[in-house]
Amino acid sequence: MNQKGLPLPAPSKFRTRIGRAFIVVAGLFALGAIAYLAVSVARDINQLGSAHSDNVQWTLSQTNVEFLEYKLRVEHPEPDITELRQKFDVFYSRMNTVRRASVFEGLRNTPEASARLVTIFTLLDASVPIIDSSDDELQRRLPALVALSDQLRPEVRALANSGLKVFALAADAQRSRVANTMTKLAAATTALVAVLAWAILQLNLLNRRIYRRERERNQTAKRMETVMGTSLDGVIVSDAEGRITQFNPAAEQIFGHRAGDVLGKDIGAVIVPDHMRDAHDAGMERIRRHGEKRVVGKGRVKLEAKRKDGTIFPVELAIQSATTHQGEIFIAFLRDITAQVAAEAELVSARDRALANEKLKTDFLSTMSHEIRTPLNGLLGNMSLLRDTALNPEQAKYLGHMETSGRLLMSHISDVLDITRYDAGKLNTRSEPVNISALVQDIVDNQTGAAFQHETSLEWRWRGPRYDWILSDHDRLQHVMMNIIGNAVKFTRRGHVAVRLEALEAAADPRLRIEIEDDGPGISDDMRIRIFDDFVTGNTSYDRDVGGTGLGLSIAKRFITALGGQIGVESDLGKGCTFWIELPLIEATPAPEEATAQTQPDMQRALNILLVEDNEINRIVAREMLQQEGHSVTEAYDGKQGADLAKLYRFDLILMDISMPVMDGRAATRRIRNEGGASASAPIIAVTANAMADEQAEFLKDGMDGILTKPVSREALKALLHSKADTDEDDLAYINAQHSQEARDTLGQDAFAKLTARFVSEVELLIDWLNDDKPKDLLEIASKAHAVAGSAGIFGAVQLRETLKQLENAAKTGDKSEIADLSKRVNIVWLKTKPLMQK
Amino acid sequence: MINRLWHITAVIAALVGFSTLAQANTMEAPSGAPILTITGDIGTTNMDDSLVLDREMLAAIDATTLQTSTIWTEGVQQFEGVSLHALVAFLNVESGTIRATAINDYTVEIPVTDAVEGGPIIAYLMDGQTMSIRDKGPLWVIYPYDSSSDYRSEVTYARSIWQLDRLEFVQ
Repeated sequence: MNQKGLPLPAPSKFRTRIGRAFIVVAGLFALGAIAYLAVSVARDINQLGSAHSDNVQWTLSQTNVEFLEYKLRVEHPEPDITELRQKFDVFYSRMNTVRRASVFEGLRNTPEASARLVTIFTLLDASVPIIDSSDDELQRRLPALVALSDQLRPEVRALANSGLKVFALAADAQRSRVANTMTKLAAATTALVAVLAWAILQLNLLNRRIYRRERERNQTAKRMETVMGTSLDGVIVSDAEGRITQFNPAAEQIFGHRAGDVLGKDIGAVIVPDHMRDAHDAGMERIRRHGEKRVVGKGRVKLEAKRKDGTIFPVELAIQSATTHQGEIFIAFLRDITAQVAAEAELVSARDRALANEKLKTDFLSTMSHEIRTPLNGLLGNMSLLRDTALNPEQAKYLGHMETSGRLLMSHISDVLDITRYDAGKLNTRSEPVNISALVQDIVDNQTGAAFQHETSLEWRWRGPRYDWILSDHDRLQHVMMNIIGNAVKFTRRGHVAVRLEALEAAADPRLRIEIEDDGPGISDDMRIRIFDDFVTGNTSYDRDVGGTGLGLSIAKRFITALGGQIGVESDLGKGCTFWIELPLIEATPAPEEATAQTQPDMQRALNILLVEDNEINRIVAREMLQQEGHSVTEAYDGKQGADLAKLYRFDLILMDISMPVMDGRAATRRIRNEGGASASAPIIAVTANAMADEQAEFLKDGMDGILTKPVSREALKALLHSKADTDEDDLAYINAQHSQEARDTLGQDAFAKLTARFVSEVELLIDWLNDDKPKDLLEIASKAHAVAGSAGIFGAVQLRETLKQLENAAKTGDKSEIADLSKRVNIVWLKTKPLMQK
Repeated sequence: MINRLWHITAVIAALVGFSTLAQANTMEAPSGAPILTITGDIGTTNMDDSLVLDREMLAAIDATTLQTSTIWTEGVQQFEGVSLHALVAFLNVESGTIRATAINDYTVEIPVTDAVEGGPIIAYLMDGQTMSIRDKGPLWVIYPYDSSSDYRSEVTYARSIWQLDRLEFVQ
């Protein structure tokens, strides 16, 4: 089951190896000892077995016996001669043996024995001639023989004695040598037994270890089997060739195969869908060839798999490889994610539906607000006109009420619209220089009257260093501050409202903290928690005037959040409350002073104005307002009519509604600018209720010059008209008179006129070239724009020069949409610049 | 084992080759001086119940040459004599013990199983010379000591009887 096997801990492995080495060494040692002993014992046995000695003691004693037999015969009174000779010969033979035999060498080597042998043989050799003589001669010389034998007697006895002594010593030596060998043998045997015992011990230990390891392995295998058997995920194991070696019960359930049927089969054929087989085989081939693994060991992967019945279903799987003694194996864990995928799809569609519903709701609110606002604009506009008519005091009072209600309604609608925009993610904020001090000052000024009515003091100050210009969104910030300061003033009676601004510069991200503290009724904890939620209103029974939609603070929170800030409130019920706002503090350079800031009433000339507006009431209101200011108004009912009129007549100003039938305001503006008609360079002002930041940018790109937010108020209209009437200031943006005058002075009037004419044709050629439909080389655009920009600099056409430089840069970076926009812009700027140049 | 094989071979040889000899129970009396008297359980006799042999008769039975050193002599000697194997075959003896006796009545027992081919001989010549009584003659039982360590044992040395003049075969 466990094909991988258990990796043994290193020390144990090491020990085992040493143990094995010891046993081998011990075994070799034992073998060596056995061999040595075998040789040694064999030698000793050989020595003992092949006796080099006859029974030497017997032989020596026999010398005495045989000598005595001879002597007996010699001393016999009537000796038997034959017998005598035979006994002599036998004795002689015996002595000869002692003299010659190798076994008596040891004896012969002793000086005493050697000397005796010499004496004995001298006597014997003296006896031999007598023995060998004839019988008579022998008989006669018998006494001599007896004398010789008497001399022999002590010698033979002494030789035997000394021989016995020598051989006793030799026997002793032999015994001790044998004893020594036996001792060695015993020692060697003991050592051998010890080695064998030790080897047995080692083997026993080894055996026990192997047994334990085997048992552990079995346990692990069993555990693995249980793990695989109970795994909720399918587990499939394959060898390096992709043949399935294991297929657990979960896998059986998922794939519908029985383990027995698929073991040994190619995994690709069993579970990989047909359309993925090629990729699978290529992957296996990659692994086999280069060991390159793209799925293996890369964590979870979502793929498709095939069931036994051929159905394809999504799986999530993780494959890992392992190296075993049988080579590399792959272990795949698979999970059937059909249900999960279905659930995800369900969730996605539910989310899409919810989003669609949300969008529908937002669109509905947006449309409704818009549709309500248009007639409301009509109402308010007409009230404004009505106020200019002769009214008795009663009527004026009623009209005032109507205007208050109308404005409140308008503000509610604006609030709802803001919330729908924010929630739809369409609330864009600007990042522009805002004079925060001036902004707060204006609001405080604005609210001072209301505060006075409530007998409340209202003041503001900087805590710490004063900042004026920061980057923020003026309108949003003003809205929020107005709301919170307004609330504080509204709820506080005979009290004190303080606005404090503080720059928190210590932190990594400097922040502007604004606190609005009042000592009004305060807010309960319960209310404090919910106060920024939608449609939360205070205690309306306190004062009916204080009521509202309950959207003010929720909008404030949305705006502040959109500006990257935070808003909160702390309060003690009955003692007042403190609202605080924290905003990112980014210092800004002051915005250029706006000419419109100073209103110079009645200093304007009468303008010829084109009013493009589809809504009749709005048109009438605007017309009335304009005519009352002394301007002449031409009306158009849609964009197309407006564009047609602008082509034919030159207007000083065009007021353009945005959403209109037939042709909308943006398209009409583009047409007016591009057609080069009589009013192609006239200022065009968008009049819209949907004045979002990004939309406003679009309007300007279309060639509009400004935006007037509906409902059009008399003041805003006056300010705009004043700025448009003051043409000199407007022209400054296009022509730097000083530059142009310098050039004129330097060149002289005639040359300047000629050069101007050439410059005009140069610019117009460029504009024609830019606006034809032929494809153009970007570098050519850049170089032409560069050349004309240089000329524009000489004539003081700063706006044109700036625009051409932008075009050059756009061409260099290859931004095609920017090139198209700037090409149009060049045309628009030129339409404004050209008349000024020819002045 | 080898002895045993030789023994079996000897038995077969005796049964087949020497069956005629076994039946010829008598031999001529020796013409020369008797050198060896064989008695006991033998199939061939020439004097009463014994077989008396002179040097020529003995040499006629067999002449086996054997080269070996002995512990009683110096260097390697060449012995010539009747191999015991040939003798027992000649006497048609298959088993038992040979009681060998020397001139001085020294007696040893040699088992018939020692009488194998390549085994002991009863030497009558040493280095081509007859041996006198002074020189362990006239007959000397010599084993091929050099051919096998089996022959270099005390038992064998004891059986190597010299100045031999009588043999008695007993069961």
